[in-house]
Amino acid sequence: MTAHLELSDVSASFNGFKAVNGLSLKVEKGELRCLIGPNGAGKTTALDLICGKTVPSGGSIRFKGIELGRHDDYQIARSGVGRKFQVPSVFRQLTVRENLEVAYCKRNGVLANLLRWAHSADSDGLDKLAEFVGLSDQLNVPAAHLSHGQTQWLEIALLLAQDAELILLDEPTAGMTVQETQKTADICNRLKGKHTIIVVEHDMGFVKAIGDIISVMHQGKLLAEGPVAEIENNPKVKQVYLGSVGISGA
Amino acid sequence: MMSKRTMRQVFVYGAVCLAIFLLPMLINDDFLLNRFARYLVLAMVSMALALSWGYAGILNLGQAMSFGLGSYCMAMALKLRTIPVHTGSEGLPDFMVWNNVEALPWFWKPFYSMPFAIAAGIIGPMIVSAILAWFMFRGRVTGVYVAIITLATLVVVNLVIIDQQWATGGFNGITDLAQLELFGITFDAYSATTYYLIAICLTVCLFLALAVTKSKAGLILQAIRDQEDRVRFFGYDVALFKTMVFCISAGIAGLAGMLYTIVMEFASPTFLGVQLSLSIVIWCAVGGRQSLVGALLGAILVAGMQGALSESEVFLDTWTLVMGALFVLVVLFLPNGIASLGEKLTEKFGGRRATPEPAKRGNSIARSTKLAEGK
Repeated sequence: MTAHLELSDVSASFNGFKAVNGLSLKVEKGELRCLIGPNGAGKTTALDLICGKTVPSGGSIRFKGIELGRHDDYQIARSGVGRKFQVPSVFRQLTVRENLEVAYCKRNGVLANLLRWAHSADSDGLDKLAEFVGLSDQLNVPAAHLSHGQTQWLEIALLLAQDAELILLDEPTAGMTVQETQKTADICNRLKGKHTIIVVEHDMGFVKAIGDIISVMHQGKLLAEGPVAEIENNPKVKQVYLGSVGISGA
Repeated sequence: MMSKRTMRQVFVYGAVCLAIFLLPMLINDDFLLNRFARYLVLAMVSMALALSWGYAGILNLGQAMSFGLGSYCMAMALKLRTIPVHTGSEGLPDFMVWNNVEALPWFWKPFYSMPFAIAAGIIGPMIVSAILAWFMFRGRVTGVYVAIITLATLVVVNLVIIDQQWATGGFNGITDLAQLELFGITFDAYSATTYYLIAICLTVCLFLALAVTKSKAGLILQAIRDQEDRVRFFGYDVALFKTMVFCISAGIAGLAGMLYTIVMEFASPTFLGVQLSLSIVIWCAVGGRQSLVGALLGAILVAGMQGALSESEVFLDTWTLVMGALFVLVVLFLPNGIASLGEKLTEKFGGRRATPEPAKRGNSIARSTKLAEGK
């Protein structure tokens, strides 16, 4: 059986600098995979490659057996890849509710959307989503007025509204409090199984709370892969993270 | 299902259109009526620009191109309906005779048919804009580069029309036109009939544009204005959405151009001049680019003031200064144009829409600080 997402020997270079250099990765359907590594290891670039933001300079990326490398970013998104960015990116001038409606994208065509009213009845589920991430009081508030934490939640809600098969999360807990991080972990655990998820994260507590298998990247390559306990005791990983505290202290 | 905000908008838009329709009852002067009809046409282009600029963030500095193309389509059709002075009926238009043209150019011939001319005046600019938009938006050209490309295209089309004097009348444009006749009605430029024709077109276009902004596509366009890249990652073909709104805007501008020829009774290269094109942007900005009716009223107000000031004896020498001061004031104090005046006032005088929000925000900030302190 082929993996849900399969990267084989993928490279990306910016003016000769190889941010990702021969990365191979296999993620099964319904799996939650954590991607960690020191700064500049190419984690974010790896996500950029999968969602089509960056065009790979070599290798192949297969999602559900289909080669993604030749498609445009919006076509990749249509095939079921959702992405949360490191810097929370929501539509600041639109209200929370309108943000969710844009994200709810079962039909992407121009004509279909031109002939449909915004605020239509089939989006009732969106209110529940807002409630789920604690934004139901802010439904009619422009996203620009939300705090940083709330913006993070909104973007997570956008991903849930999009309901993508493969979800790419880039540092979802950055700037969150302990409780909020816990809640994010809960959401991730709930999504596990139904969606395939790849999380890039620095917070080891969070990674331990959600991760089954961890992939460690270093200098654009895969360094190690395995369960949390195994990775923590891996000498190579310890060396990369230099400090004697190992990755737990990173 | 309509939200309260939509209801209020429909009400305001309806009221403005009603006022436009009632105006001729107050005016008995045909000259004045013609002038107001002209302002309405300009309001239509301004509104079309608000649709692409205010809602989708596409600053089209070449809006006058669509306007001018529409205007020439109508002028060609009306020119073929006049009986030439020199050659009699069935003869060539006068300026072609002066340019030693032997036979009617092939692209003039279909304009014997009025339905063709009307269709061409709307669809022609749409096709040209679609091609331009396709290249720009497929290539992911954004921001100021879109403004430069559209402006450059406008200049090119303008120069071609001036240069091809044998077919377009060059600098002089196409003058001495017949009056439009449709369904047995003659549209005299200095009559209420023409005014009503324009008022009807304006109303239809305004509500069509409003419907576009209220559709889900309209919402997606606003999302594109905010953060284009993010929209792509939801699987929307951003280029297609932008091309769509660019074309609708061009179609409305084309229709407005045709009406302008009817009101002015000629077509001239100045109709697709840089000056007019930039004026449209100013009307739109003064009125409020994120409000269709705001842009519409902005055009009427500014163009009206221009007309009134430049003719009054007091401001004969200084009217450009007065206009300049107005722009500066609007940009400084009302960055979202006159349309945002209402919101600003309700905010200031304790309107119920604006006040509860900061309080709520205060709460949430208090809550998150509590969380941060681990309480």
